[in-house]
Amino acid sequence: MTSLASVNGRYRMFRSFIESIDEDAPFHFSAKDNLTSSAFETCAGSRVLEGYRPAFDAAPISRLSDIGGQLLGKTNMDEFGFGTFSANSAYGIPLNPFDTERACGGSSGGAACAAAVLDGHVALGVSTGGSISCPASFCGVFGITPTYGRVSRYGLIDYANSLDKPGILSARAADLSRYLPVISGRDPRDPTSCMQPDLVLTGRKLRSVAVPETALEGLSRDVESAFRTAIGTLEGMGVEVETVDMPTLRYAMPAYYILATSEASTNLARYGGMRYGPQDGDLALRFDDYFTDFRSRYFGDEAKRRILLGTFTRMVGFRDRYYTKALQVREVVINDYRRVLDDHDAVLAPTMPFVAPRFDDISRMSALDSYKADYLTVPANLAGMPHLSVPCGYDGGGMPIGMQLVADHWCEDVLLSAALDWEKGFDVRRPEVME
Amino acid sequence: MRIGLEIHVQLPTRSKMFCSCPTTSAESPNTHVCPTCLGMPGSRPVLNRRALELGLTIAKMLGCSIPDTTWFSRKTYFYPDLCKHFQITQYDTPIGEKGVYYLGKKPIRITRVHLEEDPGKTKRVGDQSSLVDYNRSGIPLVEIVTEPDMSTPAEAREFLSSLIADIRHAIGLQECDERSIRCDCNISVKEERCEVKNVTGLKNCERALMYEAVRQTKVLKAGGRVERETRRFDEERKVTLPARKKELEADYGYIGEPDLGVYHIGKMAEGIKVRESPQNMIRRLAQEYGIETATARQLVSTSVPLAEFFETLAEETDVPTAVTWTAGVISANWKSYDRSEESDRRMVSAVKRLFAGEITDTECSIILKAVMTGTDPEEAGRSSEDLDAMIGSFLDANPSIVEDYRKNEKAANRIIGHVMKETGGAHPSSDIVAAAKRILESRL
Repeated sequence: MTSLASVNGRYRMFRSFIESIDEDAPFHFSAKDNLTSSAFETCAGSRVLEGYRPAFDAAPISRLSDIGGQLLGKTNMDEFGFGTFSANSAYGIPLNPFDTERACGGSSGGAACAAAVLDGHVALGVSTGGSISCPASFCGVFGITPTYGRVSRYGLIDYANSLDKPGILSARAADLSRYLPVISGRDPRDPTSCMQPDLVLTGRKLRSVAVPETALEGLSRDVESAFRTAIGTLEGMGVEVETVDMPTLRYAMPAYYILATSEASTNLARYGGMRYGPQDGDLALRFDDYFTDFRSRYFGDEAKRRILLGTFTRMVGFRDRYYTKALQVREVVINDYRRVLDDHDAVLAPTMPFVAPRFDDISRMSALDSYKADYLTVPANLAGMPHLSVPCGYDGGGMPIGMQLVADHWCEDVLLSAALDWEKGFDVRRPEVME
Repeated sequence: MRIGLEIHVQLPTRSKMFCSCPTTSAESPNTHVCPTCLGMPGSRPVLNRRALELGLTIAKMLGCSIPDTTWFSRKTYFYPDLCKHFQITQYDTPIGEKGVYYLGKKPIRITRVHLEEDPGKTKRVGDQSSLVDYNRSGIPLVEIVTEPDMSTPAEAREFLSSLIADIRHAIGLQECDERSIRCDCNISVKEERCEVKNVTGLKNCERALMYEAVRQTKVLKAGGRVERETRRFDEERKVTLPARKKELEADYGYIGEPDLGVYHIGKMAEGIKVRESPQNMIRRLAQEYGIETATARQLVSTSVPLAEFFETLAEETDVPTAVTWTAGVISANWKSYDRSEESDRRMVSAVKRLFAGEITDTECSIILKAVMTGTDPEEAGRSSEDLDAMIGSFLDANPSIVEDYRKNEKAANRIIGHVMKETGGAHPSSDIVAAAKRILESRL
């Protein structure tokens, strides 16, 4: 196996990693840096947690360790998951293995990068609004985001508790079916994981998919043509494809950002510089001035923006108009999916509207531009429905393109078998790894 | 004057509200803590169902209507003792609403009852710094909010002490430190009201309210206007002071707590039986049996089981007989009575025989005492006969005592003093008192 130090020197997927790899371990895995690990500092991409060494392992990490997996390291990410390109990180920004001048996607960018570069690697990621699908698509790997509540969030550093879902990224479809059942299951330490029916893999085949009309709007030319080709391939595999109208999807984006930032702004309240992060504040200040000073200095711009947005949407006089209404929209979106999934096994669309952008283009994007880039991944996340991104093509420059299947709650089964079947019929390329 | 209270009471669970840390007092700071009650990133709350049960018991005791479902909310504010900088509390769906509590005959309306977690404690060290102890962080609290139905500070204190006694009785709370009761006190002399936040203990509540009542009256008399504001109570100087402006502008930005689900409490509440509170029992005994409230209070405050025994006797005989015997010999021996079903039955049967005219007062008294003290009836009879004889002859020699007793019950003390002196403490004083009263009553 390649040396992690030299690989990381080139791609910067790891925030921290071990020095010696145990070649006899049954498999190796990494964890996004918002999953707590007692073996490594855990900072969720933020300086407010600099130096934080958790007292306990996150549930998905301990479950993989229990079956013999070796945790290689913690992968870089957008601060607390706030971003689409993993560029909002206080630590390293991972580089796309197909073109290091481009982003890996986000917020589980380091995870997708590690899955693409390292052989036989299983990467634990977390999705709130598309943070597994997006980087999986940009880095040309498989990524499964299970149903909300399928995988215990014990030990996950919260972005938005009602939306956060740990999942898996890997270059091999078989790894998803092998390891998702391991990290799934009820965990009394996370009550929201205790409502789930068992995950049983019966190999249920994908027979019909619905493509929302809106899914074809706003796509780059390369993505559109790769997606059309992929539909043809699917039909060749005997899958029925039908275009459907899903009018509520366009409301998912605002509802998602309201709920996600409302929850995030409360989750981030605890970082006041008293117990975590650099301890270099002026202790002569009053406590609230001290908190303000610390938060102004050590939160990144995107974190500050989301704290402000989320605080606004839950204020007296605005809560009903924003937060409460967004909760209602979530129900409407779920019902729209259910209606379509009554007649189809999955809803299909491209994962991202474009291939991994160059860093110089990203620096010219406004916050709103990058929020909008998530319009295809956000609805399924808002609805808490399981979804899978698979590589489905490459553009002229060889950059990967992905498509995303969304199934009904608790129906990961059909997604996992679809990944295996797709892998047989589609030639997945691996990046040429340089050290 | 209108006074309304928000009362916080710690619930006697063994572990904290959202983790398994003990709630007992710790030897040193920050030892009864874990990732959850320290609010460490990645930790999660798991609801202690016992806290929910106890909260529902109180809500039912206060006659609240209880919703079918309830959930928790996050109340966000920045303070060093609040480890997550949000408190898990209830906002939209308190476990109880629209209850009522009777202070004597006066109804005090209860606005709502909800559950929340206690924050930690800050402790000042010198002038420059404070330390934080999170042992208290996550201890379950019930908050009871009243309508402004009290009219004086003294009444507010009376309400508090009576309410706390009832809560103790309903949920089996041990005698606790007075200071563990915390109140926010709302008071208005005329129109505008002030809130005095976070007052600790009954005494301080009354003091803070009294200070406010005087202050507001003075302001109005001088032709001024009472500003609507939040104040705090300075325990050292016993005055209320305006709170800092920032605290006034607090907008807690409530949202649902997404880590905890929706709890179906309707069924749970149905299954909870609330023990009748002492206050309610006094009211009920007076009403149901037509006895004096003072008598009812005497029975209940001696012991609730004694009052229950009274009810049994009233059923088996009649109310006057039941009063005479429970308030007399039985009450006198109740504290040392080692109760059993069998001895209860023997006592009831003795009083029934008396009621049927099969035995005399003296005989009944002997039997009761023997049963309650676990002595041989013969011996109890003898010593009791000695006692009766001594009192009898003393009264024969001093017939004026009977006359005096008609006017003032204290006249019985002369007999008691005499017997004590003569016997040198051979009879328990409770026996002497009971015997003296019984014999006096028989000679009236």
